Amino acid sequence: MNGRVLDVNQRKVWVLQNGSGAPLLYLHGFADVHGVKESWMPFHERLAERASVIAPAHPGCAQTDENNDIDTIDDVVFHYLEVLDALKLTEFDLVGSCVGGWIAAEIAARHPEKIRKLVLIGATGLFVEGALIGDVFMMAQPEYGSSYASLREMLFSGANQADALNMFPDGKGELDDELRRYQMLRFGSRIGFKPPYFYNRPLRNRLHRISSPALIIWGEKDSMVPRTHGETYVRLLPNAQPLKIIDGAGHSVHAEQPETTAKIVLDFLAG
Amino acid sequence: MKPVQLFCWHFMAYPYLNKDFDQKQYSGWVTVPNSLWDNHKARGLYQEYIDQLAYADELGFDGMVLNEHHQNIYGLMPSPNLIAAALTQRTTRGKIVILGNLLPLHMNPMRVAEEYAMLDQMSNGRLIAGFAPGGGPETFNYDVPSANTREKFWEAADLIVRSWTEDGPFAHEGRYFPLRYVNLWPKPLQKPFPPVWIPGSRSASTMAEVAKRGYCYFLSSRSHGGETHRAQQEFAAVLEKHGDRYHPFRFGILMSTYVAETDQRAREECEEGVWYFLKNCLKGHLRREGRQLTYGPGVPYIPAAAWREYLKGYTPGRKLLGDVENWDELDASQSIIVGSPETVTRRIQSLIEKAKVGNLLIQFQLGNMPDHLARKSMKLFAAKVAPVLREESVKVFDKQFAGVDLEPAVEAVH
Repeated sequence: MNGRVLDVNQRKVWVLQNGSGAPLLYLHGFADVHGVKESWMPFHERLAERASVIAPAHPGCAQTDENNDIDTIDDVVFHYLEVLDALKLTEFDLVGSCVGGWIAAEIAARHPEKIRKLVLIGATGLFVEGALIGDVFMMAQPEYGSSYASLREMLFSGANQADALNMFPDGKGELDDELRRYQMLRFGSRIGFKPPYFYNRPLRNRLHRISSPALIIWGEKDSMVPRTHGETYVRLLPNAQPLKIIDGAGHSVHAEQPETTAKIVLDFLAG
Repeated sequence: MKPVQLFCWHFMAYPYLNKDFDQKQYSGWVTVPNSLWDNHKARGLYQEYIDQLAYADELGFDGMVLNEHHQNIYGLMPSPNLIAAALTQRTTRGKIVILGNLLPLHMNPMRVAEEYAMLDQMSNGRLIAGFAPGGGPETFNYDVPSANTREKFWEAADLIVRSWTEDGPFAHEGRYFPLRYVNLWPKPLQKPFPPVWIPGSRSASTMAEVAKRGYCYFLSSRSHGGETHRAQQEFAAVLEKHGDRYHPFRFGILMSTYVAETDQRAREECEEGVWYFLKNCLKGHLRREGRQLTYGPGVPYIPAAAWREYLKGYTPGRKLLGDVENWDELDASQSIIVGSPETVTRRIQSLIEKAKVGNLLIQFQLGNMPDHLARKSMKLFAAKVAPVLREESVKVFDKQFAGVDLEPAVEAVH
């Protein structure tokens, strides 16, 4: 693990970097590096075999400073523009999962010229009438005193899926993991609680600006972000591949099927 | 020193649930289906509850307490200010305590400043103004983002008090509620402003903010073991740090009681209401059954460092008040004190003495307790318990706080 602290406009940003090759910026979600895990998961390690993977932790997540001035997704986008400046990244592949996918789409809509190729995995961000994104905050409140089964069910293909149990165990997990989960929810609540949940209405009318090739990946059994959101991204992004469904996976496809998902991403980036 | 202040708190529970509610329903909060509301049965319910509060005033309680809840069966007061307005016209002497308006749920804090000022005028200076940030359930009720709730809350509270005390119009250059023209009409009657009470659950930062402003701290816990005493000590220490001194009227607690002629009769009469309250009203709030909305990582309103501290002392699956399984366990929690006047007096006296607390906010009507029993208990309490508590508390406080001056009581200007 190569972690370092980046100084961004006098705030600390925690960044992991691994591998060599073309730069790939990875923006994390819940069941993810920084969202739960301190270090890389197999998915990111596969990517790092062919790319230089750079994964900053969102404001308030892992060791990145919290920023009380973040009220909306626009503030997050501006934060990342500053991160890109600090990393001296001008053109790169952008991969985002869940909330990270939303942030990726927002960055790409503002600065399409910076994005070589875009990959969104189970991305939130869109308002699709009649298909609300699931309430991860309520699911994160324990049932029967200590059960996070319904949170696991929302984020994975099932409450008893092995990765789900590993990342979101019942009761009290390892303190540092618990804390990272909490930080991610706290960050998420800033941008994703009002309106409910995790969308920015104007985004869909801005996607037409993103001319770079785009790949949208969805878990077959995503219980958090309805598949119609993936279909909408595909329809509105001018240069998107057909929606790629990962059979058997839930919302966190990169956690549940790292090999398959990484191969699809790498093939797309290489093609 | 003045005697302990005894307030009657009414939550206004929905009392018409079927016996199978707990078995069939997942929660009493936020998502509890409102198809359970029965208009036929509920007609006149608010009248009954308001009458009980007016009765408390007649019986000589020092005040009546209301608070704000949304979308639940625990408390049917989305707007306690409406009930308070009714009480201004039905009562003449007791304080009207609203504990409180949930400031982050209001789009503009000036609305609270205005309504409280109106209530202070309408009640002839009897308002005690409570401000609360709201908890887990309210976060979901009104989609209040958690991370900045506390900051927003204190900005709103300070703006309200400033609007009561400073002549307008002035501009408020706030982070969350910037306003160009703050110019309150009417002003509150009490000078410099109505007493402010803030509830908390032992967080050091809330205590510090309360101490900084000289307000009264109210412990929102429903159980009273050693933690109540510790909360008092912590708050006293925080006051000292701010160059202030603790006295019993800087602190308040919530408790419930039922009084009848004998211990046995008290238990028999109140048991149905008590279990209804514990198993139905607390489901979703202070029960581990179903989904508990009050605390948890889904309402991340404290900073990560504070959450780390919380986790260290947290035992997953631990019993909450509503999880008690039998009467002895309930009794040990010192949450609901049930018995003859002698028993209740003795137990509350010991609580006052240990927790050095001067404001007792007492819930009499519990769950589906019928009107006649709630009134009977209140009457017996007022006749047999209150006089002893008042007399004895003066002696206790005089001994515990010899030489401590109460700040001059805030008097209404007439």
